[in-house]
Amino acid sequence: MDLSVLERVKWLQQQQMVSPEFFEILGSDGREELKRVESYLGNNNDEWQSFRHYETIDGCISRTSSFQMEQVKNNEENRATALQHKRKTEGKTEKIENKKNKKIKTEDETESSMKGKSNMSNSETSSEIQKRDYIHVRARRGEATDRHSLAERARREKLSKKMKCLQDIVPGCNKVTGKAGMLDEIINYVQSLQQQVEFLSMKLSVLNPELDYHINELSTKQFQACFTDLPEAVSKQSMMVDASSFPLQHQESLDYSVINSIQTTTLGSKDQTSSGWEIHSQSLYNNLRTDSDSSFFSLK
Amino acid sequence: MASAYNPIYTDVPEKDVFALHFLQTLSNLRTQNSFSSPDNKTSDRVKKIKKAAYVSMARAAGGTNRLWSRSLLHQAAKRNNKNVRFLRRKRRVTWLMRRRSNRGDPIEDVAAERLRNLVPGGGGMETSKLMEETAHYIKCLSMQVKVMQCLVDGLSPK
Repeated sequence: MDLSVLERVKWLQQQQMVSPEFFEILGSDGREELKRVESYLGNNNDEWQSFRHYETIDGCISRTSSFQMEQVKNNEENRATALQHKRKTEGKTEKIENKKNKKIKTEDETESSMKGKSNMSNSETSSEIQKRDYIHVRARRGEATDRHSLAERARREKLSKKMKCLQDIVPGCNKVTGKAGMLDEIINYVQSLQQQVEFLSMKLSVLNPELDYHINELSTKQFQACFTDLPEAVSKQSMMVDASSFPLQHQESLDYSVINSIQTTTLGSKDQTSSGWEIHSQSLYNNLRTDSDSSFFSLK
Repeated sequence: MASAYNPIYTDVPEKDVFALHFLQTLSNLRTQNSFSSPDNKTSDRVKKIKKAAYVSMARAAGGTNRLWSRSLLHQAAKRNNKNVRFLRRKRRVTWLMRRRSNRGDPIEDVAAERLRNLVPGGGGMETSKLMEETAHYIKCLSMQVKVMQCLVDGLSPK
């Protein structure tokens, strides 16, 4: 067979074995790499022939690694070998694969190219068997391919993804690496937050008499400000946008809908008190708003 | 940061919502025991305020949608001798714990245990679910801290 690797990929595409995305993933430089690799391997027919005689995959690997040049990046090299192996092992493993539920293809991979490979393998296998709906996991070399370890690996990857999200939330988690260190950081952060709540509640209890005094008109003032003076509410909204640091969805709608539901029940009973304490509550209300900026910086 | 893609659904309502709920629960506290004993011990009052803070946070952050808030409200209701709900959760807990004990990564298990003790309602969850709950809990806690800080700053004598 005198086909080059590239032509083989095109042949596969025609057979609809390989999705067109796979081709794009290769990209233009990928194709160049393929050509380069192929030139390394030589267009000798007998070389290719001898490949096909190898029964075990391991043998092929040892064969190809001898051609590895330093300039060739790991990714592309392995991708080329993946192509060859795919062509070779297709016929053999088709029957075996059809029996398994999860589509597992055991090939050799280096750890660094794992991610890129799994994406490609997902697109490949998903296009091959369109109707299957399973999680396509690729087993690393030397690892067991039974269901339990694969499920374990999928679970671990899900966990690591979630840990990354947590890393974004908890400040100061970027410096520590590793699961244990990050988890310790998170635990410390949660503990410190809870201690802060306790400390602030102690402070509030000291100020409690004043709180009782102000609390009535403060809540009514909030209600009124949201509904009677729309421009004031709008300016409050803009200030909140500056002060908040979290990704928030539907700020206005959530705000007003919540306050809407509560307003009808309480505003009727507290109307008479509002007029007397307006100046006091206005100052307190402004403090609540403007203090958001200072506290934002202090707690950060 | 506002447009960062987060696979975990952890959107938290704005500070106003938290402030509102907190003030409401505080006013409820005030109306409950204002005339009974005005000279409370500070520790009692502190505890009450702390409980009010947590309960209001749980209610503001999502009511019974989130596991941790649900267990918080559940604890608070139990203390007031209200009806105990969600009894059937116990079944799932034992099944999950048995399943968890089989495949344990010792490094993460120890830390996960500690986290479970910290986050309310973390006893019966898988580790991945625990992470989601922790993320949401952290966001809500920091919101609550901000609200309380504002209140303290507003009320403290200048």
